[in-house]
Amino acid sequence: MKILEIRNVHKIYNSSEVKVHAVNGVTLDFEKGEFAAIVGPSGSGKTTLLNMIGGLDKPTEGEILVDHTNLADLKSSKLIDFRMRNIGFVFQSYNLIPVLTAKENVEFIMSLQKWDKKKRDERTLELLKAVGLEDRVNSRPSKLSGGQQQRVAVARALASKPKFVLADEPTANLDSKSTETLLDIMEQLNREEGITFIFSTHDARVVKKARRVITVEDGKVVSDERKN
Amino acid sequence: MIWKTAWKNVWRNKVRSLVVIISVTIGIFGGIFAVAVMNGAIEQRVDAALKKEIAHIHINHPNLRDNYDMQLTIPDLEHVLETVNGTPGVEAVTSRTIITAMANTATKSAGVQIVGIDPDTERKVLELYKTTMPGTGSFFETESRHHLAYIGQDLAKELNIIRYMINETVLDSLKNNEVPEEILVKLATYNGQRFKSEKAFKKEMKSILTLKEQHAYATDITAAAWSFRQRSKMTLTFIDKDQIQTGAVFRIAGIYDIKNSMFEMSQVLVKNEDLVSLTGMTLKEMNQLVISLEDTEMTEEVTASLQADLPDLEVMHWKTIQPDLAMMTDMIQKFYGFFMVLILAALAFGIVNTMLMVVLERTKELGMLTAIGMNKKRVFSMIMLESVFLSLVGGVVGMVVSKFIITLTAKNGINMMSYEEGFEALGFSAHIYPVISTSFFITVTILIIITGILSSIYPALKALKLDPSEALRTE
Repeated sequence: MKILEIRNVHKIYNSSEVKVHAVNGVTLDFEKGEFAAIVGPSGSGKTTLLNMIGGLDKPTEGEILVDHTNLADLKSSKLIDFRMRNIGFVFQSYNLIPVLTAKENVEFIMSLQKWDKKKRDERTLELLKAVGLEDRVNSRPSKLSGGQQQRVAVARALASKPKFVLADEPTANLDSKSTETLLDIMEQLNREEGITFIFSTHDARVVKKARRVITVEDGKVVSDERKN
Repeated sequence: MIWKTAWKNVWRNKVRSLVVIISVTIGIFGGIFAVAVMNGAIEQRVDAALKKEIAHIHINHPNLRDNYDMQLTIPDLEHVLETVNGTPGVEAVTSRTIITAMANTATKSAGVQIVGIDPDTERKVLELYKTTMPGTGSFFETESRHHLAYIGQDLAKELNIIRYMINETVLDSLKNNEVPEEILVKLATYNGQRFKSEKAFKKEMKSILTLKEQHAYATDITAAAWSFRQRSKMTLTFIDKDQIQTGAVFRIAGIYDIKNSMFEMSQVLVKNEDLVSLTGMTLKEMNQLVISLEDTEMTEEVTASLQADLPDLEVMHWKTIQPDLAMMTDMIQKFYGFFMVLILAALAFGIVNTMLMVVLERTKELGMLTAIGMNKKRVFSMIMLESVFLSLVGGVVGMVVSKFIITLTAKNGINMMSYEEGFEALGFSAHIYPVISTSFFITVTILIIITGILSSIYPALKALKLDPSEALRTE
């Protein structure tokens, strides 16, 4: 089942002197349950592509359909709401809310969606357990290691049961042990619960785990390999 | 969750938040305390006017106030008194004769208004009798074969009825009050000397005392040297019923002190029975009825009712008798609001500055929040709530501090005796008891919330303009 369709997408940045073609005619489809990595050197356009898939940036040309909804058809406020319900985000530098505990960070989106407290608590604990942090529910981000913070970020991304999770270089700031734990957790969530993960990365460990590797260079897809 | 996050965000940078909170606290305290002092002074002034000077309502001949002609009496006095006493809300009523006169002593003279009163009913309407200065007499309580007059302290000073002198008794009493020996030595050189006026005495004191000594002991010395000559007399001259100049000698039956120079200088109270014998009028010919009410709030209602019952007479309540008092109370309400708005406007700029810093510092976080699904309305609400919490915390602390200091100072009052003369010239007491109503605190709370909301608008708009993909890239 297709959950994401990228149709001939271009992104051109026009600064006063130079014109940068960051994404140049990318066409890709993603099925439910994929564990895919978009790889490429710095400046290849993978983060720009990820931002456009997440609706944070608009393509100059082409269209992106998430679960058959064209993101370009959504107005700003509708797009934010659509993002909240359908797309999970994991950022390179965790980006948790520093004044809230791990539990509060995870339930933040659910509270924005006005889930009732009981349901919210259950889901939060279930997610924190899934990422192995059931004993750190009341810790603030400053009391957690980088790896633990990123696991909270994964739990947060999954909170509202999104169609897929976009992870922009999620392991870039982590040591190898934390990276391994995080990747194992994400892989497990992918295999057992069918959650779709799309990474942008140049981390070989991520590439190794991914079952589909899309290589991007100069804004173009140069290869798209599936492993079995 | 947004409320909780906003509240926690306030305490993210404790030092910065505390600086803002302290400045709001000081601003609010300054504003409220200043208002409480002004309010206290005015309430005291109105209270004094109602209890000691004019009471609530006056009834007189419609033309009386044009020239205070004693012939303009209230017709059918008994019937009018009956009507007044039968009106609900009236506590007591007294009748008066009013004559313009000249007061003379051997050395001085002054224009005054003689008010002929019935001491028994006058006591029920006004509390002026309670302000009699100790040792100067009583409020017509002792029988005397002389005509008696009850006058104000400032008139007594003007007519040299009150004098200042230094003698052994004064020096002893100052010694007991722990006035230092070196000052007593300086004062001893004046032993036995009399000063004709307070001004002359103070001038002399200034010449012998250092500034520091004056500041510390001048009030005590003046109070101790104050002397009233028993059986003092003055002559009151006026025109009688037949337009013939007449007059009589009046013995001082007491000196009142109400801290209002204008009133003290002009109002001389004498007994109606003494006055009618001199003017040729009768006790049934009175110029004015003065009425006190059970409740000041009923003033306008009772005035209207009396005016309807007595259409041929002039019925006036205190706000028309002394329009300056009414204007003062009305004006001050508007002034309070303006004053607080001004203080809060100044504080608002501090809050705007802080919130702009907050938005700048949290650009990345705000980008992340927008990315994961916080819409513009919620981002705006969060910034606004932070700003309201910040101002409200300062505001509440400011109000608690104000309430505490006001309660503390209201007990003993604030002593502004160094400015006594100026205050009394305007009719105000120099001893002020700050007062503030609960409704004022509610108004201030609402104003603080409005300030918080208004000062969040600009920073919140800045936050809304952030592009999430760009904001996420900031370090």
